[in-house]
Amino acid sequence: MNAQPLKAETATDRHPLAGQAMSGAEVIVQVFAGEGVEVMFGYSGGAILPVYDAVFRYNAEHPRANGGEAMPLIVPANEQGAGFMAAGYARASGKVGVAVVTSGPGATNMVTPVRDSMADSIPLVVICGQVGTAAIGSDAFQEAPISNIMGACAKHVFLVTDAAQLEATMRTAFTLARSGRPGPVVVDVPKDVQNTALAWRGSGELALSGYRTRLRTVEQATLSDTDCAALFTALMRAQRPLIYAGGGVIAAEAADALRAFVDAFGLPVTTTLMGLGGFDSTDPLALHLLGMHGTAYANYAVEDCDFVLALGARFDDRVAGVPDKFAPRAKFIAQVDIDPSEIGKVKAVDWHHVGPLTRALDRLTAYGRAHGLHPQLTAWHARVAELKRAHAMNYDRASALVQPYAVLEAINRHTQGRAIVSTGVGQHQMWAAQYFDFRAPRHWLTSGSMGTMGFGLPAAIGAQFAHPDKLVIDIDGDASIRMNIGELETVTTYNLPVKVVVLNNVGDGMVRQWQKLYFKGRFAASDKSLHKKDFVLAAQADGFAWAQRLERTEELEATIAAFLAFEGPAFLEVMIDPDAGVYPMVGPGASYAQMITGDFIPSRAAPVAHEDSPSHMF
Amino acid sequence: MNHTLSILLQNEAGALVRVAGLFAARGYNIDTLTVAATHDPAVSRLTLSLQCDDASLSQILQQTRKLVDVLQVAHPATALAA
Ligand SMILES: Cc1ncc(C[n+]2csc(CCOP(=O)(O)OP(=O)(O)O)c2C)c(N)n1
Ligand SMILES: [Mg+2]
Repeated sequence: MNAQPLKAETATDRHPLAGQAMSGAEVIVQVFAGEGVEVMFGYSGGAILPVYDAVFRYNAEHPRANGGEAMPLIVPANEQGAGFMAAGYARASGKVGVAVVTSGPGATNMVTPVRDSMADSIPLVVICGQVGTAAIGSDAFQEAPISNIMGACAKHVFLVTDAAQLEATMRTAFTLARSGRPGPVVVDVPKDVQNTALAWRGSGELALSGYRTRLRTVEQATLSDTDCAALFTALMRAQRPLIYAGGGVIAAEAADALRAFVDAFGLPVTTTLMGLGGFDSTDPLALHLLGMHGTAYANYAVEDCDFVLALGARFDDRVAGVPDKFAPRAKFIAQVDIDPSEIGKVKAVDWHHVGPLTRALDRLTAYGRAHGLHPQLTAWHARVAELKRAHAMNYDRASALVQPYAVLEAINRHTQGRAIVSTGVGQHQMWAAQYFDFRAPRHWLTSGSMGTMGFGLPAAIGAQFAHPDKLVIDIDGDASIRMNIGELETVTTYNLPVKVVVLNNVGDGMVRQWQKLYFKGRFAASDKSLHKKDFVLAAQADGFAWAQRLERTEELEATIAAFLAFEGPAFLEVMIDPDAGVYPMVGPGASYAQMITGDFIPSRAAPVAHEDSPSHMF
Repeated sequence: MNHTLSILLQNEAGALVRVAGLFAARGYNIDTLTVAATHDPAVSRLTLSLQCDDASLSQILQQTRKLVDVLQVAHPATALAA
């Protein structure tokens, strides 16, 4: 691979440090600086010490105006925490998240966040120390085959064996992470490469001609008049058109373009778990979440619609569990995505476009306006409003036990969809998705595709670094938070005003819900009533000055107000009704028509009895 | 159906593993595989054959094109060149 300057260097775009002698480690840090890295997350160890030392020296030499460090290196309890902090930072800011870890166990602890970020298309650059090039393949101390392991789960992995390529490789890693469909890029750097004496060039990336050619084709793709006409012909024929918006709307920063398209043509919008915030959920045309635990009204709208426009969404099995039965009345399905492999992967579509979403939406809006196209959707709008009214989210409001939904509604009354919310994985995650409002992109941080328990707390920490002045709340489960509970101490170490809520149902509630439905209520390994942890004491031990347990409904409003008003780190454990379920639910292998809505959300069809068979999809 | 693919690959550490790993991870069984040098020492040519239906073929072609070291993927029988 040849490092090539992207354009001919001229005297003016020569980097001021060009020609300066630097070690490989210093080159890594200098590329970080050039890429605008303002914080990084990582844990030290033998094989990464040169880079850590270079970061230390860089920060000593480049104090910020306020005296802070230029590139603080935030230390977690476990490298998995560092990876999810970098991911939380990236999700909340839209910038590339950076993590730096040592070889062997440091790097393998990073596998889960890398895979998680790949599955949710989150841009990361992860630097792993590696044993010296001469020792690679010798079963050296703390050696692991990171290029093999990460190659299977990252967008790309580089093993830098030629120090002369280090600078170009580092810069290319950032380009790869953020371009096209974003994702995590791992750079494995042997210790001797970090110590090699190099001369800083200041520009140049790897050629990667295959990748760049394909990227250019996608980025330059435009919609012709014929393409636009085909889509609008179908749209003008439709009576019940629907937009199905996914995480691509967030990744592409296309929320404003989507808003303008909806304002122009009046299509209602349902969002996936990853798409929440891509369209203001309080809008009359917003149907909120669809899918396995989507709102009943969104799922009924999907059942009823006759036209689907999928935007940055991939018909995954939590949305289209049975692809043939998804949107069964749709006569026309259109799909826009940045990734050609997503077109038709799950469901055949009638029209598609591979290209940047914002430009595609802007073009469609301009075309439709120029041709005076105004779909007549009054009847459909009335029907959507009626679906939202008749099948609204609801729960047992008279219960003496604290209902998790009530907790979330109370928090939402304060935050109004403006707080940054992260979650663990399980029932609490789905309740947060259902009961919170989402007004803008990058306020909802959840492990969507991988569903990784332990994501919530470190992701909240990373998000707080991205937005020091914003309210960041981790809505966590008693089991999920245990996975990375060491990061409670990270919150107080850095005095982050993160608000941590644990909805404690004494166990793996989501697992129990499935065991109730499909395993005759045998709670194998999902009950935690013998567990002894006192979460409030644990939080206090980690330095939380505000840590309380909420057990009584009468205290709910006042406690939540005090919790959210506290200036520093705050921890709230809520003992919730352990039997609270997540409804609606479209079971695995079921169609939306077979959705069960529970006892408090009216269903429009008699519930279909669930098959008493174990699922292969959990 | 039997398909033969021809892949031009940058000669990078781990590049072959990533191609083989992609096919394995997505449930494709490679029947035959040869790797040959090209006139450019930085580029290798992979020729591989596998059994799959047309929909699966187009999916694995698209997925292979997402690998960063892959320069070109061709399915000579249908001329589905990258
Ligand atoms: C790392 C990991 N291990 C296992 C699972 C499977 N799983 C999904 S939800 C869940 C239970 C989560 O319990 P908790 O965090 O208390 O949330 P709850 O459902 O009770 O709200 C489990 C074990 C997972 N998603 N992630
Ligand atoms: Mg729980």
